Amino acid sequence: MAITYDQVKSVSAELYESCLKKIPEDTKEALRKATEAESNEGARKILNMMLRSAHAAESGNRHICSDAGVPVYFMKIGTAARLDGNIKQAVSDGFDHLVATIQPPILKHVTNPLTNERGYKGKDMPIVSYDLIDGADYVEIVCQPKALGSGRWAALEIFSFPTLETIEKYVMDCVLKAGSQHCPPVVIGVGIGGTFDLCAKIAKQATVRPFGRKNPEPILADMEERLLKAVNKTGFGPMGTGGDTTALAVHIEYTSGHGFTPVAVCFNCWINRRAGARIYNDGRIERFE
Amino acid sequence: MTETRQLTLPIDEPTIRSLNAGDFVELTGEIVLTAGLPTHQRILQYMKDGKPLPIDITGGTLFHLGSYSQDTASGFEVLYINPTTSTRFNAVMPPIVRHYRLRMVGGKGGLDRACVDTLKEVGCVYLSFLGGGSPLLSDAIKEVKAVAWEDFVSHYRLVKLRVEKLGPLVVGIDAKGNSTFETLTEQAKQRMPDILHDLETERANSPSSR
Repeated sequence: MAITYDQVKSVSAELYESCLKKIPEDTKEALRKATEAESNEGARKILNMMLRSAHAAESGNRHICSDAGVPVYFMKIGTAARLDGNIKQAVSDGFDHLVATIQPPILKHVTNPLTNERGYKGKDMPIVSYDLIDGADYVEIVCQPKALGSGRWAALEIFSFPTLETIEKYVMDCVLKAGSQHCPPVVIGVGIGGTFDLCAKIAKQATVRPFGRKNPEPILADMEERLLKAVNKTGFGPMGTGGDTTALAVHIEYTSGHGFTPVAVCFNCWINRRAGARIYNDGRIERFE
Repeated sequence: MTETRQLTLPIDEPTIRSLNAGDFVELTGEIVLTAGLPTHQRILQYMKDGKPLPIDITGGTLFHLGSYSQDTASGFEVLYINPTTSTRFNAVMPPIVRHYRLRMVGGKGGLDRACVDTLKEVGCVYLSFLGGGSPLLSDAIKEVKAVAWEDFVSHYRLVKLRVEKLGPLVVGIDAKGNSTFETLTEQAKQRMPDILHDLETERANSPSSR
């Protein structure tokens, strides 16, 4: 057997729809815990509304947010995976299928940056990045539709031989700049090192990491913990109208590079869109959040 | 403190001026909304040309809410609404708020100081909607009153809805010159030296640095 065009197409569409209508379980749990820990009464009220909205969307097959974002997929192809058909085209066709069939319909967010015209299609859309997994007999697809609310605030700066202090200060600068506007409580993804392009990519990938998993590098595991505490001391709170809960998690990834060290910071809003699947050679499809 | 105040539209200036940043409110009545910058630019053009808007917003509301509207045999239907980031409309809001004497604007993320000053001058508040609150907000829609400028993509159209108990919404900017967003940003800036100091202490004491 092989991994088919049809499977990749339908999984691409399903993952997108899931992102629009269902918040990951760990995120709902984090919001519940935040509700208990939050000292600000108004913030608790907003966190409770978030949980009610999540439940209403999931149980009523509705969109949590009207900004369906633009299609972003991370695809990892196992070197032992057998592919049948145009797998790259399948992702694109999967998004087209979603646009044509999803109920309720989604709004047009794909934007030509030169004219600001909007539609469902555009140059190089969907945005798909590829990687290989040696020996794996599956294709892994992670979908993360990206919307304006949180997408707008991602930033990257290149330092030379920065200290940890410089890196952490930069993350806090980005948090201050985003302020109330990225639909907090957010998940913060930080990339350190590599090159301009790779750093942004690992920061983005850090936002899809499930909650509760620390970076295995002890320096970063500690940094994740102290930055989360630091961000939540800013006081922006849920929806940026005040409270102790500005971020649900800080996830950091690093990679070696030259002494010019990019630091990238990006945000996922509280609905924390992410959904993944592995499609195996034998036809099995495993879903994960 | 976080009791939700019920407000009915249209609303008078004294009631607007009695609201405080941080108050929770729910709205019942008719509201007008759009999520499009081109829509605001067209409003400005109409103002300049002295043309009446297809949906009058005088003394009313203009919210930064996107909506999915579709034409059906029985007229327009609006399937859902949800707020969008307001700060990208900073530059266009003061003339619009002033010209139409708006009583309420809103969306998410707030507006800048020039807008805060205009809201105070005119007697208008900014309401913060829950981003990702589409199911809850959409349930408040009772009737689609009008949809205009259909040449725009759905979320850029000018839409008038009758809503019942839309919210709860937070008064993010009141008509007294107070902005929750500005206060919180200022507070975060003031806290930053202590936050950075705590980070330094924790870095020095972290297990990985020992």
